[in-house]
Amino acid sequence: MGSKVTSMERAVGAVADGMIVALGGNVLHRSPSAAVREIVRQGRRDLKVIKTAGGYDVDLLAQAGAICAVWAGYVGYENEFGLATHYRRAVERGEVEAREHTCYSVITALRAASYGVPYLPMNGLWGSDLLERRPEDFRVVDDPFGQGPVVAVRAIRPDVAIVHVQKADTEGNCAITGTLFEDVLMVSAARLSIVTAEEVVLAGSLDPESVSIPAVLVSHVVHAPGGARPASCHGYYGIDAEAVRALAAAQTAVGR
Amino acid sequence: MTDYTPADMMAVLLAREIRDGDRVFHGLASPLPMVAILLARSTHAPNLVYLNITGAVDPTPSRLPTSTVDPALWEGARSRITLADIFDLNARGEMDLVFFGAAQVDRRGRINLSAIGPWEAPKVRLPGGAGSAAMLPRARRAVVWRARHDRRTLVESVDFVTASGNLDRVITPYAVFERRDGLLTLRSRHPYVSDETVVAETGFALTPPFAVTAAPTAEELEALRRVDPGGVRAVEFGSRNG
Repeated sequence: MGSKVTSMERAVGAVADGMIVALGGNVLHRSPSAAVREIVRQGRRDLKVIKTAGGYDVDLLAQAGAICAVWAGYVGYENEFGLATHYRRAVERGEVEAREHTCYSVITALRAASYGVPYLPMNGLWGSDLLERRPEDFRVVDDPFGQGPVVAVRAIRPDVAIVHVQKADTEGNCAITGTLFEDVLMVSAARLSIVTAEEVVLAGSLDPESVSIPAVLVSHVVHAPGGARPASCHGYYGIDAEAVRALAAAQTAVGR
Repeated sequence: MTDYTPADMMAVLLAREIRDGDRVFHGLASPLPMVAILLARSTHAPNLVYLNITGAVDPTPSRLPTSTVDPALWEGARSRITLADIFDLNARGEMDLVFFGAAQVDRRGRINLSAIGPWEAPKVRLPGGAGSAAMLPRARRAVVWRARHDRRTLVESVDFVTASGNLDRVITPYAVFERRDGLLTLRSRHPYVSDETVVAETGFALTPPFAVTAAPTAEELEALRRVDPGGVRAVEFGSRNG
């Protein structure tokens, strides 16, 4: 396999207006923040984001007016930093559609895409208003094998998945330390995937048993030390609380 | 005078809900359940199985983070499980206890974490219910907590049902509710509040007089200060030392 190493500008150039983008990590941990900043710099519009639990990344895209819809179980900063201000206001003004999911149904929608099927049944959501208010993504259907009603979750196939990892080799094999989040699933579900990494090492130098994402699923590799900041990156750095507070306090872009 | 705070009371009460050997889960934004699980493990429930979003199973963190998805929760972990596997386990009916927060809880034990006002055009768009809508119907038991007790939180009917299901208890800084025949009833109010205050601050009808919650014991408080010396349990009350 050849080298897939490229610049951040060229890799993120694969993201076009209107695409569905899956973002790795969770809330303020191992988010692909540098790639998201590059998306904003390139002026993308009308993106649709999918993620179990978004934080800085989704809020930054909302601030820049780069997104029109978000499929997520949660978008916020947890207790210490409060609500995701820009995302919240964009939804309240009707500029961004909150396509509310529960985290497990985001996983189910990505699994369906990864398995190449149009939907998958899921055991959950019973008794939630989401079942009747979100028919675009959830339907109660009869089990064809006669075991009663099941919740069908529609597949969501990302055009691009972007994940930030600790180590990748030049071919795109990725060694993730600590929590995997939904990164592996996102990369397999997406048409194209971009990996940004704290360290890029020579092909063949990673222990194959340490590889969480195999290169066969990866399109582009970008060397991006600090690429999750202000989110944490396990083994490298923690949350940059000041930078998170600064975004929460900043103005949302106007005139979109 | 009491020698404990409402945060101490809540951490102790959440810990008392955990039975030895339980598979117990907390999600993101859950400092009080995180502290409660570690407290229960160090006291009456040494054999609990501690699961959280990081996928670090049975960690022994030496420093408690304020984000409950933080890599600090990896210290001492015995194995790695994915969040997808945790949800699958819950969907199969094999999770004993889950903890979820709520912006609103109603008399029927339904929770709202989605929006204040109409869901289609919200007055306040809330972060969302995370894993709750999937987990509440399928976990064997769910305990809901909220670090405030007022009429905006404890309501007759939630603005939006983000999740409902096997909710068994609601724990607030003032009281413990239990769900009986589908409805929340007050099980006990805490020693430092009056029946009148609890009635006045609850948005659905209650019938005093109430039983009084057992105050934290000296042993519980000592163990609590040992597992959470930095006071992370007070984060949800807007402070680190409350």
